[in-house]
Amino acid sequence: MTAVARPQVGAPARWEYPPHSEHVLSNGVQVVFFHLPGQHVVSTRLAISAPLWSEPRSREGVATIVTRTMDEGTQSRSADEMAEALEVNGIALSAGMLGSGMLVDLDATADHAERGWQLTTEFLSEPAFDAGEVGRHVHQRLAEIEQELADPGGRAALEWARSFYTDSSRGSRPTAGRASTVAGITSADCRQFHAASVRPSNATVVVAGDMDRAQALTSLERTIGRWAQPAPARGAADASPSRDEVRTDPDRILFVHRPGAVQTQIHLGSLGPDRRVDGGWAPYPVLGFLIGGSPTSRLDSVLREDKGFTYGMRAGFRSRSHDGVFTVSGAVRGDSTAESVDLILGILAEAGKGFTEDELHSAADFIGKTAPVRYATADVVAGEAGALRLDGLDSTFVTDYLAQLSQLTTDDLARAWSLWSDQPRSIVLVGDAEAGADAVKALGRGEVEVVE
Amino acid sequence: MPAARDCLARLVGALCAAMSRLRAYGGRMPLEYPIATRRLANGLRVAVSPDHSVPAVTVNLWVDVGSRHEPEGRTGFAHLFEHLMFQGSRNVAEGEHFSALMAQGGQLNATTWVDRTNYFETVPTPAYELALWMEADRHGYLLDALTQENLDNQRDVVKEEKRQRYDNRPYGNGLTDLNATVFPKGHPYHHSTIGSMDDLDAASLDYVHDFYRVHYGPANTVLTLVGDVTVEDGFAAAERYFGPLPARPVPPQPVVEPLGPLTEPVRLDRVEDVPQDRLYLGFRLPSGATTAYLAGELALGVLAGLATSRLYRRLVRREQIATHVSQGSQGRVAGTSMGTIAIDVPSGVAADDVESAVCEELELLGAQGPTPVELEAVVADTERWWLQSLAAQDERADAISQYYLLHDQPEYLNTFLDQIRQVSAAQVQEAAATWLQPRSRAVVTYRKQED
Repeated sequence: MTAVARPQVGAPARWEYPPHSEHVLSNGVQVVFFHLPGQHVVSTRLAISAPLWSEPRSREGVATIVTRTMDEGTQSRSADEMAEALEVNGIALSAGMLGSGMLVDLDATADHAERGWQLTTEFLSEPAFDAGEVGRHVHQRLAEIEQELADPGGRAALEWARSFYTDSSRGSRPTAGRASTVAGITSADCRQFHAASVRPSNATVVVAGDMDRAQALTSLERTIGRWAQPAPARGAADASPSRDEVRTDPDRILFVHRPGAVQTQIHLGSLGPDRRVDGGWAPYPVLGFLIGGSPTSRLDSVLREDKGFTYGMRAGFRSRSHDGVFTVSGAVRGDSTAESVDLILGILAEAGKGFTEDELHSAADFIGKTAPVRYATADVVAGEAGALRLDGLDSTFVTDYLAQLSQLTTDDLARAWSLWSDQPRSIVLVGDAEAGADAVKALGRGEVEVVE
Repeated sequence: MPAARDCLARLVGALCAAMSRLRAYGGRMPLEYPIATRRLANGLRVAVSPDHSVPAVTVNLWVDVGSRHEPEGRTGFAHLFEHLMFQGSRNVAEGEHFSALMAQGGQLNATTWVDRTNYFETVPTPAYELALWMEADRHGYLLDALTQENLDNQRDVVKEEKRQRYDNRPYGNGLTDLNATVFPKGHPYHHSTIGSMDDLDAASLDYVHDFYRVHYGPANTVLTLVGDVTVEDGFAAAERYFGPLPARPVPPQPVVEPLGPLTEPVRLDRVEDVPQDRLYLGFRLPSGATTAYLAGELALGVLAGLATSRLYRRLVRREQIATHVSQGSQGRVAGTSMGTIAIDVPSGVAADDVESAVCEELELLGAQGPTPVELEAVVADTERWWLQSLAAQDERADAISQYYLLHDQPEYLNTFLDQIRQVSAAQVQEAAATWLQPRSRAVVTYRKQED
């Protein structure tokens, strides 16, 4: 016997999401400020509403190239000089695209934060988009595309988007563009996209860390507050529609053949809700957790712990700017492909019969009680606020759904699942089709198309 | 920081953080995280670092067994064993370690590395004693619950992990190959933590029992508590749950002499189904947590760690004969560490030309050392990522366990930045001249298979 009895666990202390304040700089840039004592690396997230669908169709990927080249030289500094100015101050800079806009990440110790904002203002205001630098990043992106296609998970996600959304939808194609559109991107394209979209009137700066608010606002005003609004520029004439449409015939299985692959990557996706869904968001993280969010989830308890087919499957709901997706993904042993697909579909069908009180509480408790730790760093608080801002929301979205968690009933879960369980669904398998496609066809779970 | 760690399962949710005791960072005052240590009668080393800013406690255990302790024919065993620690113990049912702690808001996992195996959870304050109770149960009484069925199932899971992370992805075995090239056959770092399929197949229940009895004693383990707990309560709880565990002898460490740098280049060429050529360069480095190691780490940073680093400037920005350059190093305990540089080579460029350019830069850094601005940049970068990682209480706990177990320096995290700042340009140059010269490189090349 263990010498000591199993300890009982009491209720956790009450916890509040870090409060924020909102401000506006004189040039119209919005500010969201979190004072986080003890967080000495200050995280800044610049959220710029520049939706992906606004890219010209023939130049898709230009927004991503802009995020990668904005800081590669300005009117007064070469790319190399800008990198050095950032790095001698230990400032980490990165930027990328989400569906609804651009997020620029800047992390620096508190005493270097203002220097970071100053340099950011410089490249936001007067980026050089030097032809050599743009060309270099275009080539790097083309190499990256090759890497994405060679990775089973990357390939599956790309094929899924293509098979799920209509061809005219921006969401059917990679965020950072395909080889055919990226190859033609020039510095003129970057300048045009930048002028049309990267503007103070579209921007919110989120700052989180151990900084005095008044001092931070003064510093922001004399840096990002001086980013001048350029003359209005015309947006792209041949942009994609602003909403993605699901194909009318997505219910099929696409098997991408990789000769000799020892595993099959599975990527199943169906239409899901966005954060503004009727009935609130809280049921969805709970459902994701129960189906495929932990080693004890319904998927892993069968496919991993019982069968040993996989290192782990994951499932969950993800909000997009309009609608969302429910995804199941993971890699399984090649010769278990058909059985795994069958088990997954069976588990999803079984979810329609509902969830127990115990399941509900275990998931709601996990999500609710991990929140104080999940939102404890400047990096996470700022990142969440930046992403929410691009969706037109703020951190009250988080506090609201966390509050809703404790009120959820098993009926709420069943209702939420039933809203989305019969939505269009598409399945992509990346593996050895010669070895596995016939068995998948024999399941009778939908038309199977094999592609190279 | 790249680190070849084998996780039991991917981390659930984002990681955590807490308020530091850092004071007046801008004035470069020393870090002052409070750390108290004590050794229990059975030999367990305990560290407690209170931080009440978040109502949560991290429980972190480092056991002094990793892939370097695996004899020939047993590769991958330390990691497979880590999986078995989640299959139940005397008073804990199969799967309950995850389910019970997650239901209390716990985030938990385990990892295996060359020098150690690590178990950890961050839980709301009222659940930390449950976490300790469960950890004590599996660290003291695992074998009562272990079955052949559990072993067979987890062997299958680990084989899928190997396929997913190593065998079925481009360049998946790159670092495994590099370890095998930098370290000679028979050296404890020659093989990877994931091991070989044959050795995994050969693992028997008897060996599991022997391995546990030898390596999983309290005196071979460090327990760290960080977060919403006082020193007094933390020590008392450690004593309450771990004190009754029987003492066991500390196993002897594998004896291995420190290695000098390679005296001539060692190569391994592979032609594979990869999207573009990739070069891995590996170098031996001194033992971790030494000034000589830190100087080597900074030298690698000057070469390949930043956008202003020499190889990035030359290969990626100026000559455009590489699309990506990265570096990494891991301080290791058995006399010799390893540093790596990885370079992606675009089609149309010969990997050999890229390697020649790298060799020129290695020689130059060894001959002339870093400029003041280069050193300033890598030190500033190190300061930011070090402080950023310590902002999360689970990472702080991990750092305390690491340096307590492997180097007997539980307070190392408070002094690391001071030591980094004291490394001189001359020491960086010396490290480059000694360890990072072309003659001392191991090179693993993945060449794209032509259709």
